[in-house]
Amino acid sequence: MEDLGIKIIGALLTVILAFTVGMTYGGIVRKLTARVQNRRGPVIWQNFLDLLKLQSKKTNIAHGFMGHMAPVWIIISAGTVLMFIPILNGNLWFPNLTFHGDLIFLLYMMVFGSLGMALGAGQTGNPNSAIGVTRGLSQMVGFEIPFVLALVALMVQYKTTSIQDIMDIQAQTGTWMMFANPFAFLAALFASLGMFRYSPFDIVGAPAELASGPVSEFGGKYLGTMMSGGSIFAFIKLTLYVDLFMGGAGFGTGILATIMGLGILLLKTFSLYMVPVFYGWISPRYRTEQAIRYFWGWPTALGVIAVIWAIF
Amino acid sequence: MVREKETTLYLGPQHPGITGNMMIKLKVTGDTVVRAETHVGYLHRAFEKLIERRNWLQTFTILCRFCVPEPDPMELTYARAVEELENREVPERAEYIRTIVMELARLQSFMLWYAGQSGSAGLYLTGQWSVGDRNYILDLFEELTGGRIYHMYIWPGGVRRDLPKGWKDKALKTMDYIEKRLDEYNKIMFDNTIFQKRAQGVGIVPKDKAIEWGVVGAPLRGTGIKHDVRIDEPYCAYDKLDFIVPTQEGGDVWARALVRQEEARQSINIIRQALEKMPEGEFYNKVPNPMKWTVPAGEAWTKTESVRGEVGFYVVSDGSNKPRRVHVKGAAYTNGITVLEKILPGQNIADVSFILNSMGVCPPEMER
Repeated sequence: MEDLGIKIIGALLTVILAFTVGMTYGGIVRKLTARVQNRRGPVIWQNFLDLLKLQSKKTNIAHGFMGHMAPVWIIISAGTVLMFIPILNGNLWFPNLTFHGDLIFLLYMMVFGSLGMALGAGQTGNPNSAIGVTRGLSQMVGFEIPFVLALVALMVQYKTTSIQDIMDIQAQTGTWMMFANPFAFLAALFASLGMFRYSPFDIVGAPAELASGPVSEFGGKYLGTMMSGGSIFAFIKLTLYVDLFMGGAGFGTGILATIMGLGILLLKTFSLYMVPVFYGWISPRYRTEQAIRYFWGWPTALGVIAVIWAIF
Repeated sequence: MVREKETTLYLGPQHPGITGNMMIKLKVTGDTVVRAETHVGYLHRAFEKLIERRNWLQTFTILCRFCVPEPDPMELTYARAVEELENREVPERAEYIRTIVMELARLQSFMLWYAGQSGSAGLYLTGQWSVGDRNYILDLFEELTGGRIYHMYIWPGGVRRDLPKGWKDKALKTMDYIEKRLDEYNKIMFDNTIFQKRAQGVGIVPKDKAIEWGVVGAPLRGTGIKHDVRIDEPYCAYDKLDFIVPTQEGGDVWARALVRQEEARQSINIIRQALEKMPEGEFYNKVPNPMKWTVPAGEAWTKTESVRGEVGFYVVSDGSNKPRRVHVKGAAYTNGITVLEKILPGQNIADVSFILNSMGVCPPEMER
């Protein structure tokens, strides 16, 4: 019973942590981007202020059942996926529902947010939204291939489909997956550029082309909820990459160990997050077919090499 | 044969991809534009009619509002038309100052173009830099004319005031700075393979159709046709200065971008030369009391080269203290209305606003 209580508190802490980190990273990136662009930029906590503003707005326009459900779907799928991601290795305060096969399960679950967005945007009837959704799904087809190949390489190399097991093996061998199979890491890293949708892969909501695409018709609480879901998803993707390729984070259950573990996690996730951000600063946007061609080029080739490397 | 469904997509009048208040109605199948209809009328302020109710000098408060990104060619073209009507001499120093003002206006407009062209492709870094640096040119304008955007500085008979003390050195220093910054913009924008892929082979204006379609400015020179009013029918001090008019082959967005890249450098070159060669002397052949000033009856057609291309003013006087008729042919008129309808079909939706920026579309200039 005591364990259950800790798990419930731990789950709540996990959601708060994911939301806070995702929103703060977004704020830091907004500030850094502004400085690079010779601007002063907003405060780091601007995303929280934006969220407060959005949540305080009233929305009088309805876009049907799926229009209402889309933000809910996104936030629920974000919360659900989060529960299956190991945050800190061997820490009782951050339990997760990990099981054998959770890596495959997560592959499916991670697209639920995008599907929710697609269904909601589709019902708004705005052609910009519909085109944005089509672009998003097309891009997903592009980056999912190298990403899946990288994960297959991982599963073959360590003969497991459990994220927790992969983390444990990395801890035991003392070698991160990014060094054990660098091709898999690179393939997944290239795929992550598409996942985070920074330039040159911001084709879904390209403002000059589609007036923000799928979210064109969403505002107020709907947009605020989507923003929260997006922030949690950002944390999920980063933590998953750290767990799979960078040895995860965690030193035990004690207070000091938890703080140290979280520090390491933040260091690793932020370093990873800056890769698409840096690339985005200096890159114009691809067209949809160029983006797909990009993912099916070198990233896919690296993925295939990674699988062969894992087999032999 | 499967017939693809056509979707109507409205780009504007309120849309981040449009360059002002106009609208392009796109018929698309998939990501490809099948038809494009340009719709204007959202920004009509009846400027040409309003001018008829103002005296010859009051007109300047309206002229500068024809095109916000580059108002000075309007002032100059109108002033030259009035000077032609009454055979008014312009002091040589004023001609040099006008040349400098025109090229500063071109340069700051090029910096806005950098922002629009790269921003419409999702590269925001260059745009933020160039718009920030543009302020140094606006500082020069402020010191010279009292206004940052709208100047009302070029009047019939010369310019409103002489160069302030120390302005020349400040202008030269600013040119040195801008020249260095242009190198940085170009590295980020033109050396980027994604930008090259986006711009090459997109929005092509065919060379054999360019004149027939009435294409002007960089889009015309991007097809390899060397046409520039500053060279063909020189005005101000352009015939006393040494500069080149760049051209490129291909007629696509890339060719137009390369033309503008070089033209920005040439503007700096012209400003430096004009500052060095400028003679001392009068800067203004003063007009009579504006309330009583009448211009002899007649008509005049003058044109100048703006960043967007050839700007033309047809001015008619009936001998009174007000213009009888002023007709303005903005550079963006053909480029932004008829030519767009011809070059957009077959393009990707993603490239529409990209092409729009490269054609120099300026809606207020189309709706006078």
